[in-house]
Amino acid sequence: MAIEVPGKRWGKRLQHSKVFGHGGGHGKKQTYADLLITPLVDMFVIIVLFLIANFSATGEVLMMSRDIQLPEAFNVTDIEIAPVVMVSNTDIMVSGNVIGRVEDLTKDDYLNIPALEEKLREMKKQYEDLHALAKDTEGSFKGDVNIQAHRDVQFKVMKRVLYSCATAGYTNLNFAVLQKGSGAVGEPSTATGSP
Amino acid sequence: MAGGMDLGTGGKGGKKPLDTQINLVPFIDLMAVTISFLIMTAVWTSIGRLQVANSGASAEPASPTEDKTPPISLLITEKELRLSAGTQTFDPIPVTRGPTNKIELEKLKDKFKELKTQLPDASTITLQAEDGIRYEDLVRIIDECKGDGLPNVSVAAAMG
Repeated sequence: MAIEVPGKRWGKRLQHSKVFGHGGGHGKKQTYADLLITPLVDMFVIIVLFLIANFSATGEVLMMSRDIQLPEAFNVTDIEIAPVVMVSNTDIMVSGNVIGRVEDLTKDDYLNIPALEEKLREMKKQYEDLHALAKDTEGSFKGDVNIQAHRDVQFKVMKRVLYSCATAGYTNLNFAVLQKGSGAVGEPSTATGSP
Repeated sequence: MAGGMDLGTGGKGGKKPLDTQINLVPFIDLMAVTISFLIMTAVWTSIGRLQVANSGASAEPASPTEDKTPPISLLITEKELRLSAGTQTFDPIPVTRGPTNKIELEKLKDKFKELKTQLPDASTITLQAEDGIRYEDLVRIIDECKGDGLPNVSVAAAMG
């Protein structure tokens, strides 16, 4: 039996193994492994470009709720920051605060919703006071309001919401919709008609 | 590591190698930070708006525009759509729904085309909706109006 150098001796069946087969007499293998940076950087660049393409400077204007499923539309313009009136199947909310219940509104035959009207008037006054205090002449009150309503809400409820908005001074009504396709209208349209 | 650049072994006599190695570590760090920021600020649902005016609770159509275009109005009931332009009234369009319960608007589109051939300057329409109309149907009709060359839409309640 030949004399061998002390050390690890692998069995015959491991002699051709990629892991264990190179030990002993084949010389030392380098322990450092190069990490392939190029595909990693490529992937990062693609992800960054994709995210920049989807980037919205306005952020999330509307607070998405599970109770409110928006209808879809093609000919839309970009949504802008304005007070949001949320109408679900159960509640009416302004900027997240519950104003009234839809169930109660369907019982009476009034044309407006006093609580909503009052809240909107208050918001309008706050806006005007703030801009007057800052002596901001350019940012005058335009009467924009975003209506975020569930698709199944009946017009009986909606007309009261719209009427309340109009009487509170918010005459530019913007119905929030899910944009479908790319049929965006170029310029925001100006509507006629008196509130 | 001199900024990731291989400066060779130095010495005045030796040739400097032309290959340089860019240090990618800060670049990857920047990418990671940018990706994190963009993912956090990303808006995944594209929400738009349909601008309309409110004509109040009255069924009075919008005042005619300066170019003497007769006021166009569309009465929306649960069974039919009635389009009228001034004194001219079009045939009522029966409301039909697709498999997903969405209102079908092909016939209304044809009526709008017909209307636009007669009144090419028309841009304003008043929608008068009944109480039982679903918001989704109203939005789809507003969308159709805007798509068919009537961008100035006002909404009113139908009388009676």
